[in-house]
Amino acid sequence: MDVKFSPPLDENSMPRLTRRTFLKVAGTGIGLTVAGGILAACGGPAQQKASGKISVYSALNETTNNAFVDAFKKAVTGIDVEVLPLAAAGELQTRIRTEKNSPKADVFIGGSSEFHDPLGKEGLLEAYKSPNASSVPDMYKDPNGFWTGWYLGIWGTVLNTDRFAKEMSGVKKPAVWEDLLDPAWKGKIVYPDPVKTGGGYIMIATQVFRFNKDEDKAMDYMKKLHANIGQYAGTSPQCIQLVGQGQFVLAPNWGHDILTAKNQGQPVEFVVPEGTGFEIGAVSIVKGGPNTAAAKAFVDWALTKEAAQLNVKLSNRLSVRNDVPPAPGSPTLEQVKLVNYDRAWASDNKDRLLKKWQAATS
Amino acid sequence: MKTLTREPMLGLTLLILVALMFSFILYPQIQVVLVPGLKGYFAFFAEGMWVKPLVNSLEAMALSTTTAVILGFLYAYAMIYSDMPGKPFFRLIGMLPLLSPPFVVAASYILLFGPRGLISYRLLGQSWNVLGLGGLWGVQTIAYFPFAYQLIADVLARSDPRMEQAARNLGAGPWQVFRTVTLPLARPGLASAILITAIYVLEDFGNPALIAGRFTVLPTQAYGLVSGFGDFVGAAAVSTILLVLALMLYLGHLRLEGNRSFVTVSGKAGSMPRPPVPRLVTWGAFTICAILSGVILMVYGVLVLSALTKAFPSNWAFTLEHFDYVRVHSKSLENTFVYCSIAAILCSLYSVLLAFLIQRKEWPGRRIVDFLAIMPAAVPGIFFGIGYATAFNQRWLDWLDRGVLIMISMIFWNIPVAYRAALAGLAQIDRSIDEAATSLGAGSLRGFRDILFPLLREPMLTGLGTAFVRAVTTLSVVIFLFTPGTTVATITIFQLVNDFNWGGATAFTVGLIGLAIAVLSVIWFVTGRRAIVTHSIGG
Repeated sequence: MDVKFSPPLDENSMPRLTRRTFLKVAGTGIGLTVAGGILAACGGPAQQKASGKISVYSALNETTNNAFVDAFKKAVTGIDVEVLPLAAAGELQTRIRTEKNSPKADVFIGGSSEFHDPLGKEGLLEAYKSPNASSVPDMYKDPNGFWTGWYLGIWGTVLNTDRFAKEMSGVKKPAVWEDLLDPAWKGKIVYPDPVKTGGGYIMIATQVFRFNKDEDKAMDYMKKLHANIGQYAGTSPQCIQLVGQGQFVLAPNWGHDILTAKNQGQPVEFVVPEGTGFEIGAVSIVKGGPNTAAAKAFVDWALTKEAAQLNVKLSNRLSVRNDVPPAPGSPTLEQVKLVNYDRAWASDNKDRLLKKWQAATS
Repeated sequence: MKTLTREPMLGLTLLILVALMFSFILYPQIQVVLVPGLKGYFAFFAEGMWVKPLVNSLEAMALSTTTAVILGFLYAYAMIYSDMPGKPFFRLIGMLPLLSPPFVVAASYILLFGPRGLISYRLLGQSWNVLGLGGLWGVQTIAYFPFAYQLIADVLARSDPRMEQAARNLGAGPWQVFRTVTLPLARPGLASAILITAIYVLEDFGNPALIAGRFTVLPTQAYGLVSGFGDFVGAAAVSTILLVLALMLYLGHLRLEGNRSFVTVSGKAGSMPRPPVPRLVTWGAFTICAILSGVILMVYGVLVLSALTKAFPSNWAFTLEHFDYVRVHSKSLENTFVYCSIAAILCSLYSVLLAFLIQRKEWPGRRIVDFLAIMPAAVPGIFFGIGYATAFNQRWLDWLDRGVLIMISMIFWNIPVAYRAALAGLAQIDRSIDEAATSLGAGSLRGFRDILFPLLREPMLTGLGTAFVRAVTTLSVVIFLFTPGTTVATITIFQLVNDFNWGGATAFTVGLIGLAIAVLSVIWFVTGRRAIVTHSIGG
């Protein structure tokens, strides 16, 4: 069956034809000749029901992946899902880039929008404005439709409750970022190295935005915080691990990961200081992937209330939808006071700010 | 060149080997080097974010290499010269650090020696800050001393005991013999051991990622740029700095190695026991080996404890539930076993054939191919993986099974290891032996097959074992290549760690190490030989 296909007549309106979808289509009409099959696929209605298999590159955690796929298959029949799990969005982004000559992914789900956005600008993503995206506030989605935000990750702090109760009587839990400058915290904080981790950098950018882009004030804060930091760690999850073990008492980190650790029985608590940063967890469609039509069906479903509730339940993230309450132990969107986080500015000024931070804290 | 034109089969073999090398080593690497473009390089180098990691890398390299080589030398000396008890045990323990997959082992150091560590805090009441250069130094010393040990043991074992006996007979004391005979004889080998260990330390990613804290080295910076910021261009530029550094070290190694004679299979047999060392030295050696082994056993002990307890270190209740993850993810263990076994076998066969063509035959471009065969050793794993993903993910190659591509990457990623072993083995066999065969009318390939190949069994097994272990423990090479159906064990561990599933990650690691030990034991059992895993790219 090594048939060469002519490209679809209209690149924009036609689902991309691949060998797999072709075989499926060809298989449905017994008695059709091969030529007839091609004609049927090319000339058939554009709005045929999506089917076949899709490949999802997922930066979500393992439990979420499994439950998510099961729920999707139940909700949308006829589409099989193959998940490539890699809980590191940067690697998935790199994979999509390196695979651009022959894309293997249909959907890229999870990970901060910072990882989706450049791919869209490089022309590697398929613009798609899902009908279900209307429930997503504009500030959480790409105006060009390359990616749609569907959850929020809140930056905050993880606290070891055992050690905090035993060793830090009279000290209050951090309600504002300045509370971390109390000398009582000296040596008890572990912080993800901003040169190596996205989270560590978001923390610096958050300070800058908190001071209305007054970088000197932000650096002054980071410098004073540096005096209290016992250690810097190589990854964000490692910080939670270290606080959970009691090696340190507090670490700035991602709220959903902190709650996950807490639910596993670690003696930790999620504390959110006022004026914090956040990430927009995005979903996008890879351009030229094996099964774009089915990918759209997947994105449509990921933006439903049902999927949002499942994600909140399994990963403790906040949904961008107003009608989905947060996970137990997690604050609501109204409760956390987010800074006015300017994503484009933060990414454009990354190297400069990191150098400034290195100079201020060494 | 004459032999090649006279023997078309030989020429054809050579052509195929070289073509494979260009396709699977040079071509993918060029893809990565080209990614940033001149502008990208200029911008990145002008920004200057690489200066500190570069300095840090050199500092960590100097410190860790020094201690690893000193410990390696002591260990090797104890194993070869002394008659201390428990040698087989120490040999086994000295192999363990080679089997550790990234991420998990460095974490058990923190559990032991961290600010609230079991040893540091609960036992000694100290609160050590191990995250940083200090911790990295300690961990890398333990992780890389086995490499230094294997390299140096090789050199020491090769020195002729007759020289030492003669010196003793002429009235020299043990210390004088060590200083004036043993050490000078070992010097070129030592220097090359230092350089090779330095390359390994320089490329180390797993340990600095978990224990170096803010002390950023080049591999962690490259990884952080990709994984934290999606900065592919910056990562490629950092990798290029690493590549240049490693190549410089490697050229130094070649220079030092150039004029050593290794011939030990010459027909003129003759061996005698080494002169005995004083009792004090024997017991000193035993003490040092015992302490080292103790530390290694503790580190792996913590791993096993984490796998067998509910939530180590806060809840020590016994459980087997974490091993359920070994069952759930058995497919990735199976893939690891299949890919790594096949890759290791093909890798050692390819290497032995290549070593034969390079060491025994004269042809133009020989030096370049020799260099290419070593190059992967100087390439950071993440760089190798990105190169493969960029070069071979093409529409016209879509028929290629991903598992096959992963195997190919493992074969060529480990060529330096097996190739150096084969080369060293060949250097020990006197040319007159296979020349006798060709004089009697056998073709070169027949001479290789019937004479050299059987004699090269040992270096081949060395290459096989080491290539296997390295393939089993690599994460960065496969992370850009695996697909849902071709997941391997290190990816699973990575996922479990990122999922905060510490018990599952340690249980799976225990399973993986068990698998590696089982495979090595089978090789050992079949061949009746012990030291399977050895120095890799050294001489």
